[in-house]
Amino acid sequence: MRAEARRALAEGWPIVLTSVVVGTAFGIAARQAGLDPVEASGMSMIIFAGASQFAALDLIARNAPAPLVVATVLLLNLRHLLMAAAMRVELAQRVAWQRAICAYLLTDESFAMGIAHVRRGGRGMTYYLTFAGSLWLGWNVATVIGATLVSDAIDPKRYGLDFAITATFVAIVVIGIRGRADVAVAIGAGLLAGALRLLGASAIAVVAAGALAPLIAVALKDRE
Amino acid sequence: MTFWLTVALSGLATFLTRATPLFLSAGAPSSRALRRYVDALPTAVIAALAGAATIAPGDVLTRGAEPLAATAAALVALWRRNLLLAVLAGAGALALLRAVGIGT
Repeated sequence: MRAEARRALAEGWPIVLTSVVVGTAFGIAARQAGLDPVEASGMSMIIFAGASQFAALDLIARNAPAPLVVATVLLLNLRHLLMAAAMRVELAQRVAWQRAICAYLLTDESFAMGIAHVRRGGRGMTYYLTFAGSLWLGWNVATVIGATLVSDAIDPKRYGLDFAITATFVAIVVIGIRGRADVAVAIGAGLLAGALRLLGASAIAVVAAGALAPLIAVALKDRE
Repeated sequence: MTFWLTVALSGLATFLTRATPLFLSAGAPSSRALRRYVDALPTAVIAALAGAATIAPGDVLTRGAEPLAATAAALVALWRRNLLLAVLAGAGALALLRAVGIGT
């Protein structure tokens, strides 16, 4: 169990570090939008979803009505339905409160790392909980730091840190490839999501591409 | 007060998207097609996240740096099968490309 936890930290620290940098940026942005540190921190603890928090913050700053904010957050997070569905088998034996904790900690990053671990034969929840918990801690501590010590921190772009998450996704897809169908699904999903974003359907790009691309696997296998 | 209500409902919406599939009565998918579909979901969702950020960073067409950095990450992942090295290669490649003026 210790080895699993150590492995999670050894492999996940660049992503945790990225979450710290982005979390700090969120804290700063929240202050600039007129929130106090408690409100900024409350968003990070209660919502705990990076992309959604930035979108919600933007709407709140523009005095958008609450239903619009909630609907936007819901739409951005619909992709988690797919991720949770993919994790269901792994968590089927767990009791309700354990599943609830895993769900609360479910992010793009923790899903990607958790699934990669399972795909190479990893068992148990230690790896996932260690990584997801570290991500939670990093994100929330960073929000407080950003919201209280407003300063010009390092520029994450200068070190390519803003790309660390995307590079992780690329690597996980590549390492997890088991056959031609996987390659076709990955390329299809990536191109479709990119195209949808360029066409202005940014909010649903990942959901739509993620939901449609598996049909390629269904079609390919049916022809064999 | 509206602020906290908005945040609470946003948090609830987020949690429901993450928790609902974990609490629906499981059971293996009945049809073969459905099993293939569900089996391909993780690859599709992660590839979609990667594709969106690589092709359209900030919602505009990339000028080439992100696809090159993604390729670097993919090659290192293929070569060493090591997540950390692949992430460092991808981030490092993008930092380099930006330093020489390719990419934003």
